[in-house]
Amino acid sequence: MEMGKSRVIALLAVASLVASACGTSTGSASPAVTTAPGATVAPVASAPVVGTSPTPVVDTTVYPRAQTLYTTGKQWGAPSTWNPLDGGNYATGTLGLQYETLFMYDPLKDVYTPWLAESGTWDSAKTTYTIKTRSGVKWSDGSDFTSADVAFSILVAKNPVLGSTLWTTGGVTAADATDASTVVVKFTNPAYQEWAQWLYNGAIVPKAVFEAKNTADILKFTNANGVGTGPYMYKTAAADRMVWVKNPNWWATAALKLDVKPQFIVDIVNSSNNVALGQLLQGGVDLSNNYFPGVKSIVDGGYGVTTYFAGVPYMLGGNTATLIPNTTKKPLDDPAFRKALATAIDTNDIVTKVYGSIVTVADPTGLLPNFSKYIDVAQDKALGFSFDTAKAKSMLAAAGYKAGSDGFVTNKDGSAIKLTLEVPDGWSDWMQAENSIAASAAKAGIKIDPQHPDFNTVVANRNRPDATTAPKFDLQINNDVQIGNTPWTWYDYVFRPASKSFGTSENRNYEGYNNDAAWALVQKLDSTPVEDVAAMKTITSALQKIQLTDMPVIPLWYNGIWAQMNNTVWTGWPSDKGNQVLPATWNGYWNMGAVLMLTQITAVPAK
Amino acid sequence: MRRYFGRKLFTYTLTFFIAATIDWLIPRFMPGDPVAGLMARQGGLSPAGAAALAQYYNNLFGLDRSLPEQFINFWIALLHGDLGRSVYVHGRPVTEAIMGAIPYTLALLIPAILLSWWAGNSFGALAARRKWLDNTVLPIGYILTATPYMWLGLMLAFVLGFSLRIFPLSGGYGFNLEPALTWRFFTDLVAHWMMPFLSLFMVMFGGWAIGMRNMIIYELESDYSRYLEALGAPQGLVRKYAFHNAMLPQITGLALQLGVIVAGSLVTEIVFSYPGIGMLLFNAIKSEDYFLLQGIFLFIIIGTLLANFVVDIVYIMVDPRTRVGMRGGTA
Amino acid sequence: MTGTLNADTKMESVSGSPTNEPTALPAKKVSGEFLYFAVRSKKFLVAVGILIVLIGIGIFGPIIDATDPLAQNGIAMQPPTADPGNWFGTTYFGEDVFAQFANGLRATFFVGLLGGGLAALIGMAVGFIAGYFGGWLDEILNMVTNVFLVIPTLALLLVIASYLPSSWRGVPFEAIFIGLTSWPWAARAIRAQTFSLRTRDFVDLAKLSGRRGWKVIATEIAPNMSSYLFLTFILLFGGAILIGASLDFIGLGPHEGMTLGLMMYNAVTWAALNLGIWWWFIPPGLGIMATVGALYVMNVGLDEIFNPKLRDI
Repeated sequence: MEMGKSRVIALLAVASLVASACGTSTGSASPAVTTAPGATVAPVASAPVVGTSPTPVVDTTVYPRAQTLYTTGKQWGAPSTWNPLDGGNYATGTLGLQYETLFMYDPLKDVYTPWLAESGTWDSAKTTYTIKTRSGVKWSDGSDFTSADVAFSILVAKNPVLGSTLWTTGGVTAADATDASTVVVKFTNPAYQEWAQWLYNGAIVPKAVFEAKNTADILKFTNANGVGTGPYMYKTAAADRMVWVKNPNWWATAALKLDVKPQFIVDIVNSSNNVALGQLLQGGVDLSNNYFPGVKSIVDGGYGVTTYFAGVPYMLGGNTATLIPNTTKKPLDDPAFRKALATAIDTNDIVTKVYGSIVTVADPTGLLPNFSKYIDVAQDKALGFSFDTAKAKSMLAAAGYKAGSDGFVTNKDGSAIKLTLEVPDGWSDWMQAENSIAASAAKAGIKIDPQHPDFNTVVANRNRPDATTAPKFDLQINNDVQIGNTPWTWYDYVFRPASKSFGTSENRNYEGYNNDAAWALVQKLDSTPVEDVAAMKTITSALQKIQLTDMPVIPLWYNGIWAQMNNTVWTGWPSDKGNQVLPATWNGYWNMGAVLMLTQITAVPAK
Repeated sequence: MRRYFGRKLFTYTLTFFIAATIDWLIPRFMPGDPVAGLMARQGGLSPAGAAALAQYYNNLFGLDRSLPEQFINFWIALLHGDLGRSVYVHGRPVTEAIMGAIPYTLALLIPAILLSWWAGNSFGALAARRKWLDNTVLPIGYILTATPYMWLGLMLAFVLGFSLRIFPLSGGYGFNLEPALTWRFFTDLVAHWMMPFLSLFMVMFGGWAIGMRNMIIYELESDYSRYLEALGAPQGLVRKYAFHNAMLPQITGLALQLGVIVAGSLVTEIVFSYPGIGMLLFNAIKSEDYFLLQGIFLFIIIGTLLANFVVDIVYIMVDPRTRVGMRGGTA
Repeated sequence: MTGTLNADTKMESVSGSPTNEPTALPAKKVSGEFLYFAVRSKKFLVAVGILIVLIGIGIFGPIIDATDPLAQNGIAMQPPTADPGNWFGTTYFGEDVFAQFANGLRATFFVGLLGGGLAALIGMAVGFIAGYFGGWLDEILNMVTNVFLVIPTLALLLVIASYLPSSWRGVPFEAIFIGLTSWPWAARAIRAQTFSLRTRDFVDLAKLSGRRGWKVIATEIAPNMSSYLFLTFILLFGGAILIGASLDFIGLGPHEGMTLGLMMYNAVTWAALNLGIWWWFIPPGLGIMATVGALYVMNVGLDEIFNPKLRDI
């Protein structure tokens, strides 16, 4: 009796195991391609199969290590949609590897490289933009890429569910394909900066596939096995990974002499740090865009891990971590108090102790290093702030905030000041940073209470439900604005009036600071062509004066583009001394030059 | 028979209703807004666009209606098998996410439960006979059953995975493979399955062994055993009767332990990042995906109720007294 | 397993629980007998010894070594050495593992005590009422108990705990929630015992002499079950510790302070397995295992002491 039972049990176990794996992958068929995809795959000698259908000669279900690039760090959650129009949710690489944009922008050199567009020119009145699309580009299903696809991709931005500003504040009034390779875009009150952003951020999608889906339900279209122009095609996806396979017909190989080296890219979902870190150290992951504390010990630990900079600060800066005060509340409504607070924070302590110097202190203007040409240096020196406890104390005293018996300053009416500082729970580096902020502020006499509610609560506390209701928080740390092509994004983030940024997801002006003169300048900046650097400098200098005088937000440090690269299997990674491209798999970074990284890495020869 | 099952079914249905209602109630009274969190992960939306997107999500998640209406909608959807949409998996149906994870969990649980129950009971029975076995099995059993599931998982992972590198440390199958009906894939699958399975098996084994050993001793000291011995029956016969009698509470014990076992498999999956329900639950909690959380909870409830029901049926088949009792006789 | 208990059949099978008929010896003689057998029971002595050591570390450890468990002062990832102040090494962040262990023990014991105690109280209340009064009260309570028995406790706790704002996730709240959900099996066991006891002569005598309801339970039934109640409490204590550790391990426990489950959560989250930081997750697990194991063995030992039939002395 017992023997029979165990046999049944064993069979059950086997059956359930095989069923489980085969049932999980969400579609593993490669899209139909006109040329044989298997030509460049080295055949894998597999062991004789037991009692199942014969294995094909070329086994594309196993990815040879030397031809596969393993990445991790961007995907927080199972890949579930490959629709490049679905902003924050598409799987790693959907925009960048599979779908492409008209231009590629390099923020380190401030250069727009024609990509799917051969050129883009304004007319003399600067209200009509003519795009010449690249010839010889084919979609991955074999059909031709034409101007109709580009025109459609601009038109689809009208769909309100996508939340694009192109046709509203962007100024676009018409987009027509006048012939097979020309698109004419007409503007009224063009917002040149926003348009320039769209040129390198806007996904070009196939009209043939997306036109029928262009309804209110466009985001429900997951577009698995999609059709794109990019260097990679959808291979398979599962709950814990996303797999791309090289597109042998990528246009840039012929046109720009660019060849992406990995045959397969496997992006691993961040389920937990132990997988990510462990894999990185054991050579199972080549590029990790996760944040790891103690990067220095990892780099020095002999694992073959390198970073963009060989020494301090190890990482490029990708966004500014900013302290956002709620300027509708006392005493944060007083610019003098805010400036004193800025002077009281020891940012250097955060940079060295919390981050181990893999980040750098931010410029008081908050602009990232790639925008240094827009920083009015003299003015910055005169009006900017830096850490000085004594000065902070005297600023507080001069502004009328007297210290109480416990050493902490009180409001002018004598009531106690206790400011809550919120960061999302689990963001360990920010949790440590806020403790540091509280400690240094306490030395100057400002009482700060660091909290870490869960992410949704932090968001709920900072959102304005409507134009008139003020948000609830006191202080938060935020880093929404990423590196990009224009400082306009930063100033829009700081100065857009509260009346224009409310609702479940406004992400501007959390601090609730309203300054009509500043907003007028921001709009003027938006209408300044990106080539007119001189004009932009004048406007940004004026904006910086307002920002430094009133201090609506307090920039703290430049958060890094976290990138740890293992050189065991692939080498030739971006570095300060070598290829200066962004080493990130994050959304929006592929089309800022990270794709070039894939053409520059080389496989380490097997020993 | 009907009355017995009727009672059981009533209890189970009531349990399901209460559990589902708790499940539905709790998120409606929690702080924070999951839709706001989801929207916050988007970037660069105009206010009009944000409003449209918020409307879309609220509609999707059904949050824009009154509470009683939501409750009724919830039950209607439930009976249609629609558990809502997940935030963690970006708006995909919850059932889809759960169905993808369930096979892995079942592949762990079913062999672990069956094998540990059989092996544990056999060992326990053996231990009750031989003193030397008893002296080793008993302390080991107590240690095993006192071990937290996740810790045993960690130890196994450390020794077998990290130090000796026999088995891979995490995942369902290797990142360099795709599911296919090949031998290579199958061995890789088993290699990833082995450590979570072992860790579950060992803890449960300890419990069953101890339980069975105690029951056998208890049975061997009862009146009918002594009577049989006095009559000169062979030891084997006495032990056989004792074994059969001792099995019965072990069967009902299985039903009672299901909750603990499910909990154990959840934490074991987390240790090994094994892509089953436990890992999905862990990720749902971390990303505050309440709809996925509710769906998983309901699934666990349903599974447990089903398992309880199966055990009840098995019990009736095994224990002749219950059958006699139902037919109106006395045991 | 905390015991394979069921009341559907006529037998009770909590591992090491007393049999159906607890002896009704007068109080004084029991305690005298107790001490005599206690010091002779190896299991009991060993278990109590282990528990005393652990409780000692938990209570006095943080006082003697006042290192803040969350202070990241040390060099990261140091293996344990014999120097004082580095017995258990440091974590990925440079925190002192021994300080975390000692503080964690405290929190873990607290959870066990409060959670187990609360569950014992509820279980006793429900069990006594259902067992003594019977009738429709019994039916209702039985239904409630059955419902709670089937729902997997951890799943229920997960749903509740995951919605709680962080300010509610302290150790006391965790203990209370555990207490509120782990009483069913105890209630059932106590009910069965009460059932059998209430038909005994001394209960009838008490009723005849005018005592009613609660007084009878409190003065006659409960003292006769005292050893049983104590054993049940011990099992609940152990169970609460395990559930608490599981909750912490999933990340639903308190984020302030330190518990043993939280140590393991941090260890796994920060790749202790992959980096080989074994000293980070072995002590907490060992601590839990030792505590719960000692409790179970003490349970068995006490059972033998109380029940002559099980003694093999």
